[in-house]
Formats: sequence, C-alpha cells, structure tokens
Amino acid sequence: MKVQELMSSEVESVTPRASLRHAAHKMRETGFGVLPVLDDGRLLGIITDRDISCNAIAIGRDLNSTDVQTVMTTDVATCFSDQEVDDAARQMSELHIRRLAVVDHDNCVTGILSVDDLARVSGELAGSVLEAATLEH
Amino acid sequence: MKINELMTPGLESISPKTTAKEAARKMHDLHIGSLPVVDDGELVGIITDRDICCRVTGMGRDAVMTSVADVMGKEVVTCFDDQDVTDAVQLMVDHHIRRLAVLRRDNSMAGFLSVDDLARNSHELASNVLQATTQVH
Repeated sequence: MKVQELMSSEVESVTPRASLRHAAHKMRETGFGVLPVLDDGRLLGIITDRDISCNAIAIGRDLNSTDVQTVMTTDVATCFSDQEVDDAARQMSELHIRRLAVVDHDNCVTGILSVDDLARVSGELAGSVLEAATLEH
Repeated sequence: MKINELMTPGLESISPKTTAKEAARKMHDLHIGSLPVVDDGELVGIITDRDICCRVTGMGRDAVMTSVADVMGKEVVTCFDDQDVTDAVQLMVDHHIRRLAVLRRDNSMAGFLSVDDLARNSHELASNVLQATTQVH
C-alpha cells in the first residue's frame, strides 16, 4: 500500500512569519496539534502545540510579536506520497517519531502520515511505531 | 497483567492556582506533556501542553494571568492500580481517550496509564485504542 492511500491529506498550514498567537488560534479552530510551516508551498518546518507551550509560553515570549519560524522545528522527517507504507513506518520507528510530513518530488506538502493512520490498516505496524517512539524519552 | 505493572508512576503534580505559564515551564523542564492537577491531595483535573496552547494563547488569554484551574480538563477518567490492563483498555476505548489517571484504592494518585505504556505490552491493544480515539495530529 502506498502512503498516499493512507495519509491524511487535509492539512492546515501556517507561514513562517505568522505570529504564534495566530498559529495557536488555528490549532484550536482546526483540532490539529501540528502544522507544517510553508513558504510558497515549500516545507520549511513543523510547529506543534507543544512547541508553543514549552518553547514560547514557558519562557515568557510575546506571542503576538514572536513568529512561527522562531520556535518551529526545521529538521522535519518526510516521506514521499508514492512510497510504501511499510517503508514509511520503518522510518518512523528508526527515528522514534509518530508522524511524517508527506511531500511530492518538488518538496510540496501533500499530507501527514501518522501512527493513527497506520492503526487503521495494521495494529502490529502502529503498535511497533508507538513502542519505538516511547523509547525516545 | 495489572495496571501498576505497566503504568508510568507519577510523582509530579501541579496546584490549580498555579499560572499557565508556570505549568508550561514545568512540562518543559520535566519533558512531559501533561500534569495531574491536585488540590489538597485530591485529583481535580489534568492539564496538557495542548490545553495551554489552545485554551490560553489560542483564545487570546495571557498565560501569566490565567490559572491552571481555568484551562485544565476537569473530567478525568480514572482507574485503580490493581485493576487488569484490559479493563483500562476498555475504559479508553469507551471514552475515546489515550490516557487514564491511575489511583490507589485510598484514592491517592499513583500515576498515568497511556497508550504508549500499552504499546510496550501489546501492539494490538495499543492500536485498538488509537483507532477508537479521535485523531488529533
């Protein structure tokens, strides 16, 4: 099975110069905990609800004047939409992570593949990714 | 298998009167994503990094002026540490949640049991919980 058959393609994103308040508001409105940061459609980074809490609020940054690119993670693990799901799952396990940004061959984001998506097709696959992810802590 | 053999023992908690900013700081320092909120020895809620991002910043509040009590989740699903793990899984599936607060029989807080803890014991059980819970990326 290909990644594109399983990934969530409904993805909300933010721009690198959006304020953290804007990003937090978007996360609340959409229910997403992670937003790809896109510049002209290209993937620059990822920002999560935890980044906003722990890397901004916790140290008293001004959320109106601090922009997304200040606290986003730039080292984003990606896979291709035409890659095999087993392959992508192996990648997640090796990196101890629970999701991958899915890109096309121009580095444009087409979706997110998470351990939740894996759980819909294989309990064994999802469970092993989850177990590997917990080893990080 | 009993819940206390698999749970993550929780020694850390936070008071409902603490500010959201201090709660974020504590989660950052401890590398955790949630804290039990304890008032006078009694569990009154749970606060997560997502609550702080979405219910404080995402709603235009100031993290220094907002207390943990204002944004914590008040409906906490609990289980007892001497219950069987399969009982806990059923509770998670029924309530569509990924984490349970674990109490001792004297109602004191013993820790948390999360879907991550389940994954260390059974990939299938962990995956069942993932499938039953609402997807938040």
